[in-house]
Amino acid sequence: MTTLRKTIPHLFLLAYVFVILYPMFFLLNTSFKKNMQIDSDPWGLPQPFTLSNYTYSFSNSKIGIYFFNSFFISTVSTLLTIILAICIAYAITRMKYPSLSKYVYAILLLSLLIPAPSLLIPLYRMVNWLHIYNTPLALIIPYTTFGIPLTVFVIAAFLKSLPKELEEAGIIDGLSVYGLLGRIVLPLTMPTLVTVFILNYLGNWNEYVLANLFLSNDNLRTLPVAVVSFFNKYNTNYGALCASVMISIAPIILIYSILQKRIIEGVMAGSVKG
Amino acid sequence: MNKVLRNPWAYALFVIPALLMYIAIYILPLLSSLQHSFTNWNGINEATFNGLDNFKKAFTDDKFWIAFKNNIIFVLFSAFVQIPLIIFISMVISGVTKNLNFYKTTVFLPSILSTAVVGTLWQFIYHPDVGLINQLLRACGLESWTHAWLGEETTAFLSILITNSWQWFGFYIVLLLAAIFSVPKELLEAAEMDGAIGFKRSWFITIPIIRPVILVIMLLAITGAMNSLDIVLIMTYGEPFGSSEVMGTYLYKQAYKFNDFGYASAISIIIFAFTVLVTVIFQWIAKRTEEVEH
Repeated sequence: MTTLRKTIPHLFLLAYVFVILYPMFFLLNTSFKKNMQIDSDPWGLPQPFTLSNYTYSFSNSKIGIYFFNSFFISTVSTLLTIILAICIAYAITRMKYPSLSKYVYAILLLSLLIPAPSLLIPLYRMVNWLHIYNTPLALIIPYTTFGIPLTVFVIAAFLKSLPKELEEAGIIDGLSVYGLLGRIVLPLTMPTLVTVFILNYLGNWNEYVLANLFLSNDNLRTLPVAVVSFFNKYNTNYGALCASVMISIAPIILIYSILQKRIIEGVMAGSVKG
Repeated sequence: MNKVLRNPWAYALFVIPALLMYIAIYILPLLSSLQHSFTNWNGINEATFNGLDNFKKAFTDDKFWIAFKNNIIFVLFSAFVQIPLIIFISMVISGVTKNLNFYKTTVFLPSILSTAVVGTLWQFIYHPDVGLINQLLRACGLESWTHAWLGEETTAFLSILITNSWQWFGFYIVLLLAAIFSVPKELLEAAEMDGAIGFKRSWFITIPIIRPVILVIMLLAITGAMNSLDIVLIMTYGEPFGSSEVMGTYLYKQAYKFNDFGYASAISIIIFAFTVLVTVIFQWIAKRTEEVEH
């Protein structure tokens, strides 16, 4: 009875794990097959095993460029978000302007009520008006800003929990307000910053709608936009489609398998604090 | 102490850059949408005031109502189908000791993938000819059950909801697990001595304690449902016949396909108003149920 009781949850969870992993395995498996076999024998292992889909999609698309674009835009936006957010979070939680800070916080809270689709048209106009359509800035500015509110909430929640004495000691040592932030608060906040960095980075890396709308130059495309275009481009060439998708997710899966503990702990820590 | 921390220049330097960007990207666009929602505007020529015409148009536009209805289905599905399942799975995972990390890591995996990848992967799974589901049904001799899942009006939106669940379940499960593991051990042991084990313990002890986190993920799932247009754009583009349209995609098309920016602005204001309404109702229910409990 007890063994049965212990086995049932595992059986249930293994079924769930199967539902998650099998689609990805199916994609991987298909990516090594010839198109003939994809039709006639969808379940079997590749026979013959071929890398032609991979060589085809590498030589037929600029996947390396797309990857770099995603990397560049996500990194810059995420770093800017973090810098701006820690400054404002520090000012409104630790500096002595409580009533003003309350207003600032309330204004930021409004963002939770503003759905992204509502901003689509005005942002499009703004991008044109600033003449940054078809430049990385067209994404960096909105991405940076979209990350600010939530990042401020998480950092502010952490900063509120720090004891006053820390800063008092710093002031006695002659630190200015910038010194307090840079030398005392920033190092203590590092673990929280890693959390919000990961969350923002994933969001930026995966964003599709704005990236599709604000960049039409093929050399500036980010990965999500490219992946969607593969589906139309490789219409019936399923092997090449699967290979392209595999290439675009391989680095993410690799990073995840190395950093999974950190990423999951980051998300968990963020939730308990926020 | 106060002198150092009451430095107006430093305060301004810290607050103003972020606040300016925030106002420029969130607040001003919303006001601009509001302004243009009362105009007839093709995005190029000068916008002309036309009062409430756009809102009246939305009210009688059947296609808009389909999108509106789908948004409501999305919200209800998130709150009453996804969240209970997520709670259940989290409870099961928190109960096992062996392979805990393996489950956590695997379950979380889909949420690091982009919607573009997930959407494409599932388009392949739903594919009428080579797709996983239809192949499986054929292999089982259930040829008649096969569908063009994303191409038929009855199944398209439901297929999107299932894909959305597949993508985000793990994220919410990990958030809930953090809450479950932070429940004090002594409390659970005490409950066990009083005879609350297994399902009983979850229902009477754990769930009430983690209630605040459940409410947070519910709100996240609901706002996520209001925000989602990428998954629909990628998987069906609102087709067939607008049956899988959500308000976000409908707005997108009115603006960029039909150049009716005035109407699209009105829809964006409706989405905003609807989000505010849903959030207020949610908060109200959350408060009320709390009062009942105590």
